[in-house]
Amino acid sequence: MFVHNPFAALPASIPPIAKQIYVAVMFLLVVCGTLFDLAHKGSASYFFRHRRVVSFGARRRVSTGEATALAVETLVVSVLGAGEFCGMWRRITHLLTMYGFVLYVLTTAIMVFAYPTTAAPGPAVVAELWYLGALLVCIGGYWFWFLQRVDVAAEGQSRFRLVRADLFVVSLLASATFALIWAGFQGAGSDVWANVFFGLYLLASTALFASVPWSKFAHMFYKPAAAFQRRIEHANGFRGNLPAPADRPATFGSARRQPQNY
Amino acid sequence: MPTFVYMTSCDGCGYCVDICPSDIMHIDTTYRRAYNVEPNMCWECYSCVKACPQQAIDCRGYADFAPLGHSVRVLREEEKATVSWRIKFRDGREKNFVSPIRTTPWGSIKGPSEYAPPTAAAMSSQELAHEPEGLKVDVLPTLARSRLKKGLV
Amino acid sequence: MSRKTVFVDADILVVGGGMGGCGATYESRYWGRDLKIVCVEKANIERSGAVAQGLYAINCYMGMHWNENQPEDHVRYARNDLMGLVREDLGYDIARHVDATVHKFEEWGLPIMRDPKTGRYQREGKWQIMIHGESYKPIVAEAARKAASEVYNRIMVTHLLMDSRHPNRVAGAVGFNVRNGDFHVFRAKAVIVAAGGASHIFKPRAAGEGMGRTWYAPWSSASAYALPILAGAKMTQMENRIVLTRFKDGYGPVGAYFLHLKTYTQNAYGQDYEAFWRDSIEKLVGDYVNHHPVPTCLRNHALLEEVKAGRGPIRMVTKEAFKDPHKETVGWENFLGMTVGQAVVWASQNIDPKETNPELTTSEPYVMGSHATCSGAWASGPEDYAPAEYQWGYNRMMTVEGLFGAGDTIGGTAHKFSSGSFTEGRIAAKAAVKYVMERSKDRPEISEAEYTQLKKVIYQPLENYRIGRNEIVGGTVSPSYLLPLHGLQRLEKIMDEYVGGIGSHYTTNEPLLTRGLELLAMLKEDLALLGASDLHQLQRAWELQHRVLASECVTQHTLFRQETRWPGYYYRADHPHLDDKDWHCFTLSRYDSQTGRWDMEKAPVYHIID
Repeated sequence: MFVHNPFAALPASIPPIAKQIYVAVMFLLVVCGTLFDLAHKGSASYFFRHRRVVSFGARRRVSTGEATALAVETLVVSVLGAGEFCGMWRRITHLLTMYGFVLYVLTTAIMVFAYPTTAAPGPAVVAELWYLGALLVCIGGYWFWFLQRVDVAAEGQSRFRLVRADLFVVSLLASATFALIWAGFQGAGSDVWANVFFGLYLLASTALFASVPWSKFAHMFYKPAAAFQRRIEHANGFRGNLPAPADRPATFGSARRQPQNY
Repeated sequence: MPTFVYMTSCDGCGYCVDICPSDIMHIDTTYRRAYNVEPNMCWECYSCVKACPQQAIDCRGYADFAPLGHSVRVLREEEKATVSWRIKFRDGREKNFVSPIRTTPWGSIKGPSEYAPPTAAAMSSQELAHEPEGLKVDVLPTLARSRLKKGLV
Repeated sequence: MSRKTVFVDADILVVGGGMGGCGATYESRYWGRDLKIVCVEKANIERSGAVAQGLYAINCYMGMHWNENQPEDHVRYARNDLMGLVREDLGYDIARHVDATVHKFEEWGLPIMRDPKTGRYQREGKWQIMIHGESYKPIVAEAARKAASEVYNRIMVTHLLMDSRHPNRVAGAVGFNVRNGDFHVFRAKAVIVAAGGASHIFKPRAAGEGMGRTWYAPWSSASAYALPILAGAKMTQMENRIVLTRFKDGYGPVGAYFLHLKTYTQNAYGQDYEAFWRDSIEKLVGDYVNHHPVPTCLRNHALLEEVKAGRGPIRMVTKEAFKDPHKETVGWENFLGMTVGQAVVWASQNIDPKETNPELTTSEPYVMGSHATCSGAWASGPEDYAPAEYQWGYNRMMTVEGLFGAGDTIGGTAHKFSSGSFTEGRIAAKAAVKYVMERSKDRPEISEAEYTQLKKVIYQPLENYRIGRNEIVGGTVSPSYLLPLHGLQRLEKIMDEYVGGIGSHYTTNEPLLTRGLELLAMLKEDLALLGASDLHQLQRAWELQHRVLASECVTQHTLFRQETRWPGYYYRADHPHLDDKDWHCFTLSRYDSQTGRWDMEKAPVYHIID
């Protein structure tokens, strides 16, 4: 059940080119959605205006070599290591969801473009990684959704409340969940149910990629840029107007506990 | 100077929601990040600013009377038991201050149950816990009832 | 809508987790090792209450072991500042214990500055010692957490519960969880109320965002008064509202400036004005003007008169003092550790006290019990020396059995500040432990009918909004419900115009007060129509309820006292002079929540004689 390539096993009435066009369109929706979001909100303009303000308040120049090192650090720590999350468990769910999503999307593209037919469904490992990716998204995503969302955990809102901020994670979870169910029915030979969940999977995935201008999707691109900018600011002395760390040994421990909320 | 949250720095951890004495730090429904929902009930106590692990919260003086262009930012470092302030005037001049915030490790306070239980004599006296030694005088002061006179003196 | 009800049983329930509440929690555990001590706080005890941002001075510390001050000195100082009217038995009681409290704070880790020459605590003036108190509240909260059986954060207590079998005896409290909306019923053998006094009952000087920059914390919503008032406890000195002279707009503290930096005030033309008003003040209050130090209200009065005469703004002369780098540091850190907002105001307006003498102003009035003011509940005094008229059983017990108080809750105890409030919490706690142990065979019982009815009342604003919202398209204007902010602004306007706020130069008279009561009565009726869109608004709704009741009490007391005892705090224009013949006494009130009637009476003042 977890070995077959579900895209190849779709009815022959759907030609490979249709699947490929769909994936390409989804990719374009993300690119255009992000660019539209930037242009419409003017967030890129804000970002560059802020850089000008920082350059006036900077105390020293950051060399190209230094900036490159900071960029690498941003990539490794903030992006690959989800270092923008201050809480350990929230970091973990984000890593699960992030790597799951990357696996899920990449293997989808590989299967759709390289192995779109049952004649050559491709190596089993590709499909296995697709399943794993979707599973990781579900584990990290549902954990986050039910237990960690700050509006639930800190504010006391209902776990089942839906607001616009949920658009990205809900459509992502729906896509991954319906994908697994669809592939499961398909592998078991229940064609009617497989078609139903394939339809739902398509709806959810389209919603996920088409809603980029309205959801938090594009923040996965903005956050690394902001993290890099922050490192530059700490290096050039602007520090966002924050004071420098005190020159004192750290010997008092910390009272910082996870928020007790209520 | 009510508080505001920097969009790109907030990661939605909820520390500010948890600490605010005025219950005005809440979560935005579009971004799932924190923001000040009631600036006119913000005392500028800086509890949220100090609590934020990402230093994502800052303050802008009350619009009623504070012109723009100023900045008062803080770094509270519990491990070093210090608080550092950086004040920037609207005209650009700057002042920096560092103060201690504690002399003992966090969590080190001896709870009242860790002391020997009070005697019955102590219970029936006027002394409070750790007295009279805690007063650093020999005897808890008292008054003779006759020293209190009713009415104008 | 069905809501979960959570029952919590406690031996001692401490309502409010501020300085008073943390002191009560700590001491309750010391004396009641096996008791269940529960502290309930509407915010988070880590930073709740008036000390949220920290303090730069402890203003109540005797220094007995250094022969600096004795408890009697404190009493005389407080008596003098309050124009003769303080509960001297209670004040002495706090003063004799407070040194141990402060020494404990230092042991716990509060950095207290030391005089490099003498090695003693660094004095600001005779009564104040200087601290680096940014984490004053977290340190004290840590002590409370180590003492309590349970600390409930984000639960707002709205009402006390009474014993169903004995009249006039408390049995617990009810409230709601501000986060998840659960209904909480606390059953307790003794209750210590250590909640907040009253800010935002008079219209503040800043009406927009600046509303938040009150001198006293905006979350002090008069629960310290409303809870006992509703339980039928007698209140005292509720007319004694405080007005403060502070730095303009930010209301930053001036104590360190006057006392440590040795600054002084001037009018707009660089003249010293206080001496000019001395004689006219003497005509109002007689010999009290000769007391030293000059009472706070009289200093206010001189400033107010000077401003009225058109010679404002009044400024504090700082240019000389700030040339000294040490004093400059003290001047700024004074704000950063206590009222960051003032540093922000100066940064925003380019005010550097080295170059500019900053403006001072008088604030809108506040009603609280721990500063240069002493409104609050009427409480029984210490057993060893309180006069019989001031004692009916346990120390700091109100006129309701089993109901104790500390901090801003207790009246008559001016100048106790943070350390004194914590100390009063300790005093009340020991008494409450004794009460619980001595009454162990006779525990109070709550009435299901009472808390079921209260549950309906407490959540009513959510229902009002939910149903009433259907009538209008949107926005804030509805003919059938009032938002909490609407009610607050109406209250503040009534109090400002009729009960002596800034808009009326702190002046009122009987016709104004009577009209004010009429308007307050209509506001009270409208409170049944408050509409809350969510739990945060529900908290605001109940804060308003407590504020309105406290304001009604303040107005009744202001009407009752037919004199102007504290010119500079407020004026009865129809009785403009101090009248020691008829009014050298406390005012007491008792509210009957069934009939809505206020019974007023006088109580004698006892002075410690030399």
